[in-house]
Amino acid sequence: MTTIDPSIGTDRARAIFDEELAGVASAAALQELRNRWMARSGSWVAAFMDLIARATPDQKKALGRGANELKKHVEVALADREAALSATRRPAGAVDVTLPGRAPRLGCRHPLSLVREEVGAIFSRLGYQVLEGPEIEDDYHNFEALNMPAEHPARDMQDTLYLANPLTPASYAPPTRGLAPRAPQPLTLLRTHTSAMQIRQMERHDPPVRLVAIGPVYRRDNLDLTHTPMFHQVEGLVVGRGITLADLKGTLTSMAAALFGPATRGDESARSGQAPLVRFRPSFFPYTEPSAEVDIRCIRCGGEGCPMCKRTGWLEILGSGMVHPAVFEYVGYDPDEVTGFAFGMGIERVALLKWGVEDIRLFYENDLRFLEQFGR
Amino acid sequence: MKVLLSWVREFVDIDEPAEAIGRKLSLRGLPLEALEPMSDDALMDFEVTANRPDCMSVAGIAREIAVVYGLPFRAPHSAWPEAGASPSPAAAPPIRISIEAPDLCARYVGAVADVTIGPSPAWMADRLNACGVRPISNVVDITNYVLLELGQPMHAFDHARLAGPAIVVRRARAGETLRTLDGKPRALAADMLVIADAERASAIGGVMGGAESEVSASTRRIVFESAWFKPQSVRATSRALGLRTEASMRFERGADLTAPAVAMARACELLSQLGAGTAGPLLDVYPARHQPAVLFLAQPRVEGLLGMHVPDAEIVRILEALGFGVEPVPGGWSVVAPGWRVDMHRDVDLIEEIGRHHGFEHLPATFPGVQQAPAPSDPRIARDARARRVALAAGFSEAISFAFIEARHAEPFQGGEAPVALANPLSEKFAVMRPSLVPGLVGAVSHNRRHGRRDVQLFEIGTRFSARGETRAIGLAWTGLATPDHWSGGRRDVDFFDMKGVVEQLASLFDVEISARAPAEGSVAEAVLVPGRAAVLVSGDRSIGWLGQLQAAIGDAHDLPANDVVYVAECDLDALSAAVAPARMTTPLPRFPAAVRDIAMLVDESLSAATVRGTIRSKAPSTLVGVTEFDRYQGKGIPDGKVSLALRLTFQSLERTLTDSEVEAATTAVVDLLTSELGAVRR
Ligand SMILES: [Zn+2]
Repeated sequence: MTTIDPSIGTDRARAIFDEELAGVASAAALQELRNRWMARSGSWVAAFMDLIARATPDQKKALGRGANELKKHVEVALADREAALSATRRPAGAVDVTLPGRAPRLGCRHPLSLVREEVGAIFSRLGYQVLEGPEIEDDYHNFEALNMPAEHPARDMQDTLYLANPLTPASYAPPTRGLAPRAPQPLTLLRTHTSAMQIRQMERHDPPVRLVAIGPVYRRDNLDLTHTPMFHQVEGLVVGRGITLADLKGTLTSMAAALFGPATRGDESARSGQAPLVRFRPSFFPYTEPSAEVDIRCIRCGGEGCPMCKRTGWLEILGSGMVHPAVFEYVGYDPDEVTGFAFGMGIERVALLKWGVEDIRLFYENDLRFLEQFGR
Repeated sequence: MKVLLSWVREFVDIDEPAEAIGRKLSLRGLPLEALEPMSDDALMDFEVTANRPDCMSVAGIAREIAVVYGLPFRAPHSAWPEAGASPSPAAAPPIRISIEAPDLCARYVGAVADVTIGPSPAWMADRLNACGVRPISNVVDITNYVLLELGQPMHAFDHARLAGPAIVVRRARAGETLRTLDGKPRALAADMLVIADAERASAIGGVMGGAESEVSASTRRIVFESAWFKPQSVRATSRALGLRTEASMRFERGADLTAPAVAMARACELLSQLGAGTAGPLLDVYPARHQPAVLFLAQPRVEGLLGMHVPDAEIVRILEALGFGVEPVPGGWSVVAPGWRVDMHRDVDLIEEIGRHHGFEHLPATFPGVQQAPAPSDPRIARDARARRVALAAGFSEAISFAFIEARHAEPFQGGEAPVALANPLSEKFAVMRPSLVPGLVGAVSHNRRHGRRDVQLFEIGTRFSARGETRAIGLAWTGLATPDHWSGGRRDVDFFDMKGVVEQLASLFDVEISARAPAEGSVAEAVLVPGRAAVLVSGDRSIGWLGQLQAAIGDAHDLPANDVVYVAECDLDALSAAVAPARMTTPLPRFPAAVRDIAMLVDESLSAATVRGTIRSKAPSTLVGVTEFDRYQGKGIPDGKVSLALRLTFQSLERTLTDSEVEAATTAVVDLLTSELGAVRR
């Protein structure tokens, strides 16, 4: 500790004080420091006062100002440190607040369930009714009423899983319109698409119709990176007077924006509305005419081309079209009175794109290391 | 459909590179699947949808390209002699052709030709090779070349091998067999169409030729076949025989009734061009001539369906370029479809052609108007979401499993019923529809345990299947610690009451009162749960579900690590929601304080809490509003076979504050009741 020597001047003394203060870690050490600098006698401040008393009148003024500044500095610094020290003091019964809390366990959502819920919410907001339906179906509702009568080549497009023994429907409400058999049909197959549900709904309700059907569907596809024999689908159907293909485009554009967020909007030109979010490519489905496959602007590169979109700038996401007049005839709607659009989208496909999952089988392994990545 | 750019250019003068053509056609309904650049050519592989058999040919693809680029298309028939043109003097004599099954074969064009069998010239062999067809001999190659070029399948018979000589198109005879070109003997069914000579079948119509009449190196005279076969018949035969060929693929989608003569003319032309032979007259058996479909296209309907305006001139241009005949009529057009457009049945089919060639990129983005409030959604969606919230809050993560499982995994969960089995499962792993969600969850627990997880809590909401139909349930599985590890201790493995608490919360979510019972003999709970740690849940006489500790044998079957203790539960959500009582009105808050008394009773250890509670409830004073078990103690100070059960009794009156002596009297009444009814002793 430096000997008290006012002859070194107030600036040097101030530096010494700051150094000594920095070493203070307890209230006792602080009190000691206070005595050494501020006590009435034998302290640094007292020594400076003595010096001033002994000085010549013309030295007094300068010396007095320096000593006063030093005194003020010491007082303030001591008070600050005292406050800081008392703040870290642990009161009786104190806990270590840095230890981990006792968190109740919270489960994680399944990504497919998240997408399913999100799509349902988007279409609820657009005024759609959200339906689910039976997973075991009869041939009429899964195929025939969708313009795929027996021996129709398009049945090959969806390799079907059949029941070993057909079931009899547990409850049965005959359709009120259309060409459907009035007697209950044997349930022979696992639905290959949720379109069956749309037929059931139209058979019982007058147009207009505005619905999405969501749920698991089944096809005889071997397990690989992009196929599972069970997957989830959402299908939309809007029927009414004057419904057009352009209405479908608007609807799917807003769905894509809601589902994939600003990423879909891509670069500046896309944001300013120059480039469309969705693209229709002519295609073929037996139950729609015209039919179109729909691509969305790549959510990773915004359309410039990247490995995810195979350098095309577009991601294939769903099949759609204008409801085939034959389907309206099957359900007893007049194709000259109403038109409608329909679309079908794979929930897994959305999840794969949305989160960059590379193997579809992960969705069915229920590995917690995977599920925990989707938050709670 | 694989086509060479150079071949396409014989039909349309297109200068664009193959890649650009592919990009453009992909937006017009013909996606380019693959592109193989070649030294001065390109092989383009287009995906052709099932409705467009006309595009399964070089000419068909070329026609689309012509429309897309607004270029003229050189129709194939313009370059070749008319069907039935006079034969050359050296021509071979005709053969007798009869169609005995005109319902399955609407047209049969034949021609006899004298030939010299040899290899095809390099240009033809190269084109065939490039398109994936192996060159065989000039005559066979010509049939394949015409098939690729025009999409019309053809066949060549060795004239010398045909008895008669005659061609008879008929149904197969009972027991008839044929060795096909691939060398396999085929048993023919009576509904299959065959091309026969005077005696026996020599080809399966539209599917494959026979080995006996195959053209060989020694063949001197052939019969060319170019015919039209009914799609459904070819498809059924092809499926029944498990035999898919380039020919059957085209016939089953629908071939062009006007094409057989054109294709035959082209084949005969190639024959003479190659110096491979000379053909006689085209023999065209065509009992009922094709009546082209005439469709009315109402002008406003185009914009009405597409939602975009297409100028009238553009409508006419697109249709005419595609080969349609277009006549203006009041309010629209009368449109005649060309023979190759077998997919034209209604005005919407025409509108699709207009829309796709005008360009879907011109579609505006509009919204369908709402005419009425939306109908309510499936109530199960909101219900399942509530159940999901309870499970998530209780620490369970959400699982989704395949609805088909192994038969041996399903069996214990079937309650003695037959499973809903699949006729054509992908494998044994996916053989039957799940009767319960628990097998799938146990499989998932096992997967996680084997990947280093100690604590696993999973639930799934999904469909269960039985012969009686589908039900929706929530299944839960839990292994490991009851609560997460914490530095403060309290480490404990999950037990029966942890799982029961979750199930009770699920029931309370639906405001349904449930009670637990020991499982009945033969029940699923008995079959899959450890005895003494198993319960079925009922609400009234309605079964809600079951819960308990999983039997080790079930875990073993799913490769669960030995000694793992897993608690499982399943609740029928349909039954739970059916048990929901009508919405209740609130009751006013009590105005007078409640009094609480604790009593400790010594009872037989075999006595269930439900019995004690039930006894109290049956005869308790009306002021008793609550009974809770708050301690259950066995051990020091308690006689063997007995248990000390501590009960908290809550008394309350809606009219006044109960006096001490009233509460005491009521408590004593409860104690006396337990003593007299159950032999309990107050401690
Ligand atoms: Zn991209």
